[in-house]
Amino acid sequence: MSKTELEEDLRTTFERAAASVPLAPDLASRATTGVRRAQRRTWLAAGAAAAAVAVVAGVAFSLNGSSAPVAGSPSAAATTPAATTPVTTMQTLAGSWRPVRLDGFTALKAARPDDPLLTFNSDGTWTGSDGCNGLQGTFTIGQRGEFSARVGAQRLVGCDNVPHTAILQAAKRIVSNQATLQFFAGDGREVARYARAR
Amino acid sequence: MEFEEYVSARGQELVRLGFTVSGDYQRAEDLAQIALMQAFRAWRKVQRADDPHNYVRRILINSYLSMTRRRSFTEAPAAEIDTETTVPDPATDIVNSDDLWRALARLSARERVVLVLRYYQDMDDRTIADLLGIKPSSVRATASRALAALRKSRQSHRVDERLS
Repeated sequence: MSKTELEEDLRTTFERAAASVPLAPDLASRATTGVRRAQRRTWLAAGAAAAAVAVVAGVAFSLNGSSAPVAGSPSAAATTPAATTPVTTMQTLAGSWRPVRLDGFTALKAARPDDPLLTFNSDGTWTGSDGCNGLQGTFTIGQRGEFSARVGAQRLVGCDNVPHTAILQAAKRIVSNQATLQFFAGDGREVARYARAR
Repeated sequence: MEFEEYVSARGQELVRLGFTVSGDYQRAEDLAQIALMQAFRAWRKVQRADDPHNYVRRILINSYLSMTRRRSFTEAPAAEIDTETTVPDPATDIVNSDDLWRALARLSARERVVLVLRYYQDMDDRTIADLLGIKPSSVRATASRALAALRKSRQSHRVDERLS
């Protein structure tokens, strides 16, 4: 058999085979439906993965002690110390703090003779200034962030006095990390937020 | 050209191509569907191709060759050509054709693909080489080997017939 004859037979055979193929209905809709289903599954999987990553990142972030909400954010006032927040100790609290938000006090940015800072010492004493009067006292921290403070004698020169003492006396629990210090009332409401003074 | 227009115009051709390479009606539909799904995913890219149909055919052929390389793949015996749906052609030697069809099923997947692209799709060797990602000389060698195997198969079949 010559090559040409075989080639001709091949063409004929392929044509016959192709002609025998029954009509495949709905090819377009089957292809697009399959792809769209796969895309939906991909989006769902991606969404679930993103949610899982967000949860893991949130937990890791809070375990790192950086989970405190941004100062002044709307949710901040309603935040309660979570179970995963780091335990505040004398060591983490030690240092000077400047007020960022005090519940019911709006004159934080007023000009004052002194910087209205609070300083906690690792020996259980605190000092500070309300802007024009020196403050001092003692404090204690429990194992789970329970907080109590005593306020010592102070002068009462009038200015836009920053009410540190009222905050310290109202606070029942504190949470702090390297950058932020939060005071919470007995009902879990955040009453004040401070940032570490540089 | 929109995807739906393309499928409407060329979809059935893809199923036919799938059947000529695989010899199985069900697999032919699967191959066409795989090729169309992949094309739909990258339709903008397909549209920009010089020959969109060639692009989709390439997907189909490569899907088939990938399929045959899988360990789980079992070569389906070539389906008997359904003569009821075949366009009648008085000049066709049906017996010869059926023998040849069965002989084609014994070739390797690549040999069969090369013959289909050459004699059914009327592609030149350079285009086939480009589609398969091999050299034109490899296409010629594969085709030559496949044709030799078919010739041999036919000759032995005729000897068998004479002896019986």
